[in-house]
Amino acid sequence: MTWLKLVEGYMPMQMISELAGSILVFALVNWALKRAGLGVPKFWAGVGVWLYIQLYLQYRIYPPIPFSVRAIYGTVSGCGIFMWVSGSEGEWQEFKRPILNVMDGISGVHRAVRLGAVIVIPVAFGGFAYTSFLPSFAEPIELRTVHPAPPATTKVHGKTFVLQVVENPYRVNAAGNYDQAYTDARIVEQAMGRLMKDVNDADYNPWDPDAEGYIKYVREGGEIFFQNCHFCHGDNLNGRGLWAYAFNPIPANFTDAGTIAQLQETFVFWRVSKGGIGLPGEGFPWASVMPPWEQHLTVDEIWKVVMFEYWHTGYYPRTWD
Amino acid sequence: MRSKASRHEGGGSRGWGLTVGLSLLLGLSGPGSSWGQEEVLPDGFSRQSAPAKPGAEQIEAGKRVYFTKCVWCHGVEGAGDGPGAVRLWPRPRNFNAGTFKIRHTASGQLPLIDIDLFETVTHGLPGSAMPPWEGILTEQQRRDVLAFVTTQLVQDREWQDEEFEEFFVLELDKLTPKAATAASIQRGAELVGEKKCIECHGLEGRGDGNAFNLKDDWGFSIQPADWHKCWNFRGSRQDPYNVANIFRTFSTGLNGTPMPSFADTTSVDERWEIANYVNALCERQHDIDIAEGQVTAPIAQALAEGEPLAIDPLTDKPKSNFVIPAKYVEGALPADEHDERWKLVPRRWIALGGQITHKPRNFVNRLDDVWVQTLYNDTHLAIMFRWDDRTKSVQAEEPEWDATEVNLEDYGVAEQGPQGTTFSEDPFHQESIAAKQKDGYPVYNDGIAVQFPIKWQELPAPRKPRYFWGDETFPVDITKWTADGTLGVYEGTGWDQDFTEVDFQEEVEVVKAEWANGRWTVIIQRPLKGDYDEVAYLERGQYIPLVLFAWDGHNGDVGRKMAVSAFYYLVMEPPIPTTTYIYPALIAVGMVIVEGWVLGRRANRRKRNGSG
Repeated sequence: MTWLKLVEGYMPMQMISELAGSILVFALVNWALKRAGLGVPKFWAGVGVWLYIQLYLQYRIYPPIPFSVRAIYGTVSGCGIFMWVSGSEGEWQEFKRPILNVMDGISGVHRAVRLGAVIVIPVAFGGFAYTSFLPSFAEPIELRTVHPAPPATTKVHGKTFVLQVVENPYRVNAAGNYDQAYTDARIVEQAMGRLMKDVNDADYNPWDPDAEGYIKYVREGGEIFFQNCHFCHGDNLNGRGLWAYAFNPIPANFTDAGTIAQLQETFVFWRVSKGGIGLPGEGFPWASVMPPWEQHLTVDEIWKVVMFEYWHTGYYPRTWD
Repeated sequence: MRSKASRHEGGGSRGWGLTVGLSLLLGLSGPGSSWGQEEVLPDGFSRQSAPAKPGAEQIEAGKRVYFTKCVWCHGVEGAGDGPGAVRLWPRPRNFNAGTFKIRHTASGQLPLIDIDLFETVTHGLPGSAMPPWEGILTEQQRRDVLAFVTTQLVQDREWQDEEFEEFFVLELDKLTPKAATAASIQRGAELVGEKKCIECHGLEGRGDGNAFNLKDDWGFSIQPADWHKCWNFRGSRQDPYNVANIFRTFSTGLNGTPMPSFADTTSVDERWEIANYVNALCERQHDIDIAEGQVTAPIAQALAEGEPLAIDPLTDKPKSNFVIPAKYVEGALPADEHDERWKLVPRRWIALGGQITHKPRNFVNRLDDVWVQTLYNDTHLAIMFRWDDRTKSVQAEEPEWDATEVNLEDYGVAEQGPQGTTFSEDPFHQESIAAKQKDGYPVYNDGIAVQFPIKWQELPAPRKPRYFWGDETFPVDITKWTADGTLGVYEGTGWDQDFTEVDFQEEVEVVKAEWANGRWTVIIQRPLKGDYDEVAYLERGQYIPLVLFAWDGHNGDVGRKMAVSAFYYLVMEPPIPTTTYIYPALIAVGMVIVEGWVLGRRANRRKRNGSG
């Protein structure tokens, strides 16, 4: 099914807006049907919406969310639906009418349903209890902090960097001075495809033979990236590299607005220099295969590769003010 | 751009005769070259005309895409020599000669731009570093970049060159796959022998037939596909287990590689049988022993019924499960892989990546997965590792270093340098990695190791010892087997700290270690308990973290140059307690009582209301 893209990762905003949108559609359809004199009984509308939400959570999101989270959404949506069906005394009566009819067995069909329910409910409860008593060894859920607080200073190749004040020495304008606005104007376009702004201008194309200064450093950073980093972070910096599938935690996706776009450049410098092993405990330093890049790259190379990551994704580093 | 050095030089101007626009292939029509029409089309192919030449504007748009996204591996002139090229295997494509592997066109012909190349860009080439660009580049951008690549970077050939280029296209859409019945699979297995596929791909299809000597058109080492890993087939189009992809590769061959087209030597029918067999060999939920390719009716039946692995849509690889269950068995643990009791427990697919955290890094890992199964009895745990390795590697001479040493840089073990952006500057391009033995390069031992934390019971969750041989605070227990027959149990305290031998070696036993037809089978038995302070003390019902390491000696893997897994958990499942059956029954009975009470009350109330 390539035409239907699952909600990848766990993206609450996309999920909630899709759910809200579809429920709005249901409400409109319900209203239209009512106008046409074909109103859906309140009981079935309530149960239907609740089931719809459950099925949506189970099948629309990938990787699947755990049962406990689904249960929370199920309870919250159940409460919402309950409030909706019990808005007034009349509505409440209307809602519970089908249930009472079954309990009373007012017709042959209702009596059959009642008999079915009397058998199914204990079996279902027993079965549910059995599966929950059965020793099961599911994958444990371990929550990890992706962006832990950085230290005030970091020492790389014998030099101490104060993260609050240090600047990327390669983020410079034509005059050779630190200039974020100048370099921000030369990154790729933040749109589908994220392409460089002009392939025939040495100011924008790192591969132009006449490229100098900032844009030349971007190319040098890119060379380092494609000799060292893409194996995990991917050719498009989206965390889907050659070996991403083998590792856990998975490599960071720099094209996601929640990673480098949210961070100061010096934070990225610290993370790259110290790697997984340099994380505080909440970042699971024991599990990350991210190398401490100070073992492989010089300080200059690290600054260049950080700058390339911003150039290629079309994001600006966050500033302190 | 480089001037066109090709056989077409001096050919004069040729009119395209086709309008500029979308380079859609038109159905066969128009005058082909006179000699071409006399040629007999292979079975299942039809003749089509050349695509239209793209417009200058589209080529320019494509250039912008190329220099943002592609140049980093494929290089400024498209010679497959960008900065990333040297540390990649397979290497990025060199476009200059117009040689493309995955095609619907006959052997040696140019690919269809709008179908073959477009799908390659869209879905990537699994098993290589070429990612799927769908969702990253728009469809238009993908078509634009192809306009640039096919006109500017393919320099020796031209799609519109009527004198030299013809397009015999495999009509895959019009052919119906043969059902993958046991009979078809069995016939396919016979044909694979008759057509000599096994000479390269090996008796069981693990690509071990001629693993040393194959080179591509550029002299780079190339290895026959491992049919058991269809998710790594370059032409799998993010759709492994699709038999049509195998049929296509078999019909058209892979240009630039030793894989020929079988279109002239096999009928369409035979090609489907072979494709069915190859597809059936791709790993299923359960391991199926194919007896060196002597596929009998029962084996064919098992292959036909095998359930494909679930594929993770995010990675296009089999889905991982991080819990490795061990089941309890009575009596002696199995001593070989044929023991029926292995069927009690599911096997787990454990993905491996190259070790690239610390020097010397391993950029081209040839081992990318291991299958693991575990069973236990009252005293011991048995772990069976099975992994595909095209070459059995045993170090010819005694290593200079001790088995406990980990810092092997002093002995000349180094990682591959990043240098060289052109062939002449690239010190590695002449050399075939797998041909190292032939060329006088050292071959090390194949190996596998499993790491458990020592005193894991005391780890404050979710803390673990570092995945890379532990750390000083939390040492690990590493059980390592190497192909020279050495088995060691060591204590590891860090990635650069030499191992310490542990007095447990005598207790641990390798009950089976065999390489056959491109696969290692290694079964290790170890006592559940040992000295609590020195080795992992395995207890049932608990999550015990573990990490795997693997070495391919012919790839130069030794010491830290290896493949590595993520953290997994071993869980020795306890027998099911009787309360599991009692409580649910009590709950069901309770529910019946509640129902009776509710319905009774309701009936009473109605009676009262009715009578009152």
